[in-house]
Amino acid sequence: MNSQPDALPKEPSIRPSTPGLGWEEFSRELVEFFASVKLAIFLFLFIAITATIGTVIQQGERAEVYVQEYGENAYRWFLRLGFTDVYHTWWFTSLLGLLCVNSLTCFYKRFPSVWRSMKQDKVGVTMAFIKNMKQQAEIPLDNTKEAVAQQMVHHFVTKGYRVLAKNEPGEVTVYATKGVMGRVGAHMAHLSATVIIFGGLLGTYYGFQEFGVCLEGQTYHIPRGNFDLKIDKFWIDYHENGSVKSYNSTLTVVDGGQSVVTKTISVNDPLVYKGIWFYQSSYGDAWDQVEVARVNIKDKETDKVLKTVDLEWQKEQSLPDLNVKLSITDFVADFAFNSTEKKVYSKTIEHANPAVKLVITERDSVQATPWIFQQFPDLFNIKESKYQFELVGYKPRKFTGLQIAKNPGINIVWTGCTMIVVGITLSSFIFHRRLWAKIVPGQTGVTVHLGGTTHKSQIDFQKEFRKLTEKIQTFKA
Amino acid sequence: MKSLFLFDMTFWLYLAALVLYIGYLFARRPTMALAPAGHLPENFDERDGVWATQLGQVATLVTIFGWMLNTGALFTRAFERMEHSGTFAPWSNQFEAMAYVSWAIILGYVLLEMRYKIKAIGAFVVGIGFIAMGAASLLPYRYQTAEPLVPALNSYWIYIHVSVTLTSYAAFATAGGLGVMYLFKERAERLGKTTGFYAAFPDLETIDELGYKAITVGFPMLAFGIILGAMWANYAWGGYWSWDPKETWSLIVWLIYGAYIHARMTRGWEGHKAAIYAVFGFLMVIFCFWGVNFLLSGLHAYA
Repeated sequence: MNSQPDALPKEPSIRPSTPGLGWEEFSRELVEFFASVKLAIFLFLFIAITATIGTVIQQGERAEVYVQEYGENAYRWFLRLGFTDVYHTWWFTSLLGLLCVNSLTCFYKRFPSVWRSMKQDKVGVTMAFIKNMKQQAEIPLDNTKEAVAQQMVHHFVTKGYRVLAKNEPGEVTVYATKGVMGRVGAHMAHLSATVIIFGGLLGTYYGFQEFGVCLEGQTYHIPRGNFDLKIDKFWIDYHENGSVKSYNSTLTVVDGGQSVVTKTISVNDPLVYKGIWFYQSSYGDAWDQVEVARVNIKDKETDKVLKTVDLEWQKEQSLPDLNVKLSITDFVADFAFNSTEKKVYSKTIEHANPAVKLVITERDSVQATPWIFQQFPDLFNIKESKYQFELVGYKPRKFTGLQIAKNPGINIVWTGCTMIVVGITLSSFIFHRRLWAKIVPGQTGVTVHLGGTTHKSQIDFQKEFRKLTEKIQTFKA
Repeated sequence: MKSLFLFDMTFWLYLAALVLYIGYLFARRPTMALAPAGHLPENFDERDGVWATQLGQVATLVTIFGWMLNTGALFTRAFERMEHSGTFAPWSNQFEAMAYVSWAIILGYVLLEMRYKIKAIGAFVVGIGFIAMGAASLLPYRYQTAEPLVPALNSYWIYIHVSVTLTSYAAFATAGGLGVMYLFKERAERLGKTTGFYAAFPDLETIDELGYKAITVGFPMLAFGIILGAMWANYAWGGYWSWDPKETWSLIVWLIYGAYIHARMTRGWEGHKAAIYAVFGFLMVIFCFWGVNFLLSGLHAYA
């Protein structure tokens, strides 16, 4: 991918022989180091190796998980080295930064020569230069140098080469080149690394990702966008075999008190408003609401079930035959009690210890609001009541899990991605070829000295070179 | 399922093709390879050449026929999928993905053979295609059927992201096969074995260059595949990169080949080293493709 000088015979370079280590020398060495392919290879492999860590060790887990699996000592080392969140450690980020520096320095150092070779070419070369090339041939022809040159130029041009020729009294020199875009592509790929990482940083610092658990019918304020989001509906589609096909939420954006957009989102189909994306991310059972709960009413004396009722959420239901009115006003999935605030809450979102708060009005005299538990039916006893109430089942309301994200760097990332794909495609499939020919008149006719070089795809070039040689042999007067 | 029968037939045809290619290597008179064009070597037996050529032709025909069946199987699977799971993509689980990879490997090989006319490579590359197909058929039956897709996968992105990524794996597999071939040939040369089996191999430089070419096909493709995956993730999960094991491993594989491509520029990384590296890279691809699904957990653990 780099534009290393390809097998061209070295021409002596003039280096100032200043003694000691001057700034010039130092900065040259520095550029040399940062632009080096060696550094690139080292970084590629080192990043590859360190990136495996995060795939083997679970990332971002709770401390207990690591201690349990690897032991306390190992966990201490994990923390020191950042193995619990490898990809965000200072050293991993520095490696990525170094990769940017590497590719940028390479661009700085090598692109100018690629640019120059696009703009101007070296036509005049020595005979020794041609004879030293990997692909070279000598073809005697019974013809004049001008005629051969003309046919050669014509042939090269039809083959897609850009051709320059120099006619001198002693000889004609023809230079042909093709595929410099391959090298431009490589440098485009080099720049892309920085573009992608820059876009990524922009997203990290100016973007956000949040997870929202939302219930049907509710409206939520989105402070980051200063608008409201109403969940109109949530439902699940199933395949014939009963597995989940997709889950969907109909969302309405309310901005400035007015409904602006309504869209049904599903997995793989988000809603975008003001640069904020709403993804259908998950769903689950709400931990603080039920749709309906089933309650058994037992006679305390006989311990017989008198009636089973399905109570809808926060709707009073009267049972005239038992002279009871019931309603469910509260629900927790995992019962817990905060004694300082005197509040009941759900410890987790798991349905580990579900309980409902039942409001009972019996014979217009007894009033009670007990929490009744599915798993512990005998926990509460209402003294004045004739009945015992038991929670036997419930249907939780589904919540829709929305991923809410904004990433201002995303388009920069996509630009970088396009650059890298186009860049490495160009550099993989187009290779830079250069041909030089000297047509030297002899005693009878001329001799064509043809030499060619490429920086990759040697066999293809060899083939092409052979064909060119064969073609040149057919040049007639 | 009809497609399973076709996949099975493909497997047997690839096996036959592999055997024929190996037979071709043995049948080919070593002197043929060494004889300069137009000069018959001593003790040349005309019949040997004919016999080898015919064997080679049959091998190619069987390969092409096997590939057509593979194509047919994938199409059949696509229609079966359409009935049950709302997507066409016949690469929606591990089994189908393997079958697709072997399809791509064989297609790549046939194109290679048509272009460079070197049949000896078939013994290695068709071999890998066959192994891929065989590994697929070893999967438990429940992995082989066209189960409905989970919601996250049910998207048009699956058509392009998965196929591009798998095609790049196929290219790396081809490079791996060529790497193994290189090492075989090199060893034979070192031991001075110019007769028999090895003599039919193309010269080392050609194997090396073809292996490199395969990698230069796979490298941009994998980049494209990863990026398509990032775009999909951005659509489905709300983030284009989450360092999920599969993502990370595909990046690791890409970096490994990136190092190779850079190393190749600085000379010295041709031939022996490059061949070993290509094999190593292919092993990493296998881990990314299989190992991650079965050993590591993550968002891609659908198999």
